[in-house]
Amino acid sequence: MRRGRWLAAIVAVAAIAAAVVATSTYGGTTAKKPIVIGWAFDSSGAMAPFDNPALAAAKIEIAHWNARGGVLGRKLKLNTCDTQGNKPDIAKACAVKLLGQHADVIFTTCDVDLAAPVVQEAINRGKLAVASCIGTDQMGPKRFGSKGRLAFTFGNVAQDEGSAMADYAWKRGWRKAALATDTVIVYFKNVVQAFEARWKQLGGKVVASETYQSLGGNNVQNVVTRLNSVKADVVVTSTAGAFGALSTLISGLRSLGNNTPVINSWAGDGTYWLPKSPKVTNYYFLTYASVFGDDPSRAVNTLAKQIHAGTGGFITGPAAVDGVVTAIRRSHGSTKGIVLAKTMERFRKVPTISGLVSFSKNLHSVFGRRYRVIRIQDNVPKVVGTIVAKKVVKI
Amino acid sequence: MRRSAGAVVELGVPALLVVAAALLATVFSHSTQTYFINALVNVAIVVALYAFIGNSGVVSFGHISFVALGAWTAGVLSVPAAEKPAIMPNLAHGLRTTTVGNVPSLALAAAVGAAFALLVGLPLMRLSGLAAGIATFGVLEITHNILRYWEKIGPGLNTFSSVPETTGLTQAAACAVIAVVVAFVYQRSRYGRVLRATREDAAAARAVGVSMYMQRLIAFTLSGALAGFAGGVYVHLLPLNTEALYLDLTFITLAMLVIGGTTSLLGAVVGALAVSGVDSFLATAENGVSIAGWNVDLPAGTRVVVVGALMAIVLILRPLGLTGGREATLPRWARIGSAP
Repeated sequence: MRRGRWLAAIVAVAAIAAAVVATSTYGGTTAKKPIVIGWAFDSSGAMAPFDNPALAAAKIEIAHWNARGGVLGRKLKLNTCDTQGNKPDIAKACAVKLLGQHADVIFTTCDVDLAAPVVQEAINRGKLAVASCIGTDQMGPKRFGSKGRLAFTFGNVAQDEGSAMADYAWKRGWRKAALATDTVIVYFKNVVQAFEARWKQLGGKVVASETYQSLGGNNVQNVVTRLNSVKADVVVTSTAGAFGALSTLISGLRSLGNNTPVINSWAGDGTYWLPKSPKVTNYYFLTYASVFGDDPSRAVNTLAKQIHAGTGGFITGPAAVDGVVTAIRRSHGSTKGIVLAKTMERFRKVPTISGLVSFSKNLHSVFGRRYRVIRIQDNVPKVVGTIVAKKVVKI
Repeated sequence: MRRSAGAVVELGVPALLVVAAALLATVFSHSTQTYFINALVNVAIVVALYAFIGNSGVVSFGHISFVALGAWTAGVLSVPAAEKPAIMPNLAHGLRTTTVGNVPSLALAAAVGAAFALLVGLPLMRLSGLAAGIATFGVLEITHNILRYWEKIGPGLNTFSSVPETTGLTQAAACAVIAVVVAFVYQRSRYGRVLRATREDAAAARAVGVSMYMQRLIAFTLSGALAGFAGGVYVHLLPLNTEALYLDLTFITLAMLVIGGTTSLLGAVVGALAVSGVDSFLATAENGVSIAGWNVDLPAGTRVVVVGALMAIVLILRPLGLTGGREATLPRWARIGSAP
């Protein structure tokens, strides 16, 4: 009897101990700290047409990862903060707030100059700063010095994009190009510079080189007049509909009876800016993905439909999430900025929903992506081909 | 005795408001503190505006160009030399190889602001009224475009990055207090009083031999120095570009001065703190904020609409601004008690 009681007591203690161990093991798994992504985005300013869809698509991708159990057992958590038109003080406060919420990685808006307050704050605290779609080589050491090693973008580097535009124009048989550079942001300028560099390598001729300013500048009409006076096979520009000058540029040329093809970068993606009259014709742009239901990738079409995307840049949101997840996995779960940065610098053709992503020690922006070429005729957009830049030119 | 007590109050109240704002900031989170620091930089800029506009009665739309030049000076000179080629590849040789610390960069920002204000003031201070206002607007436009496109003196279109972020609460508060003290000393000086006399009655001032041109030029140069100084403080807080130092900042800082009360130092400080406070609260509320258990989450764009409406309402109810354009004074009982 006595021995029986002792045995019962031992069994009870063992059961309790086992339960405690089991509970703590189970609790340990579920209580694993989430990986926090802090995203400072612009919901209403000039970058809104690019930031909003990228963020919306990224949310879906994060939900997918979490449904599959997260990353190495840790869930992804997304905290957002609206920079309200990328006002520098609000952007900085957003970055501080997100870091205060224990963000492991900071995501930022799609222009390097507007992103600077957020990037600076993140890299000063040793965190990885990621932009989904900044399109210059300046998101990295080139702009932010030694700490810039922590800054990356999943946007295409302008040297690659401008080069691809030139390759496409050459392929179409166009030989004389008129350049119209919007000088408002670095990305716009770099794309046209890259086009010119590649165009000259191919043997193309530049018959005009004009500059204008969007975002309130009022000189694009003068550029229209001058462009109309030259005989060119193609007009080359890089500017966004949301920045105000694109519509004037195209309408101006078409109103003058000038139907010269116009080729634009990803900045000119979307139909939100199209004037009703005269309708946009003979207008081409290169972009990450088609949001018009005719992208060569079915996965892209499904996602575009799901989030009602306005421009192809939406795909860079989930691509950036995929890229960061790959970096964390390859870093064995570390979220330290420098560890992730070193891993990402070794990315070579990493598959993401937006295509293959490569970085190097000096180039923290994507090169070698397959661009979709979309033509708008009578205000109707349609994919007319794809192209990969043959060379990343130096500018 | 009574006069010195009055002077202490006149300086002490605006200075204490600045210190109180800085102390209040320490209660809040780090992200909210960013707004307080920004408000204190705004105080320095608005006090710089006040030093000229408040004392002379001449509206200037060009003072943000002095702020911009100050920011450019402090920014260019304090970016580490090793990082300058990446951020500013076309910088002039002398600027590329020169790097100075925080305090010298602020002193140089003030000096450049003063020198430029003196230079443009020489022809412009002969003008009065609307003509002076438009001419100063011309200065803003010219400066904006020079800084935007002349890459030998700065980053051009690019946003400044890698400027040491030395403007925290302490530096912002200290610099705002310095601006307040300088503006106070000037307005209590013979020059300040003479300039205010020209504001009240230009003909009478001329009749007693006052050179309105010279007095305005002195005030313009002094306020240029303060504005340049504030610009230096600003660039040590945030990565700035030419757009951040242009029309929006021009009109919001002028609005702060008018709302506080154009003709008083207290008005400049109150206006800057009040408008910055409302603006920052609404910016925070647009991202969702919890106040005493209530979750406030305003729709995007509310900030701009509400700040505009509030400014209009304040000016309708108090056309002379929140302070009525008056300085802080001793309470009535204290004044009676200390009567000779």
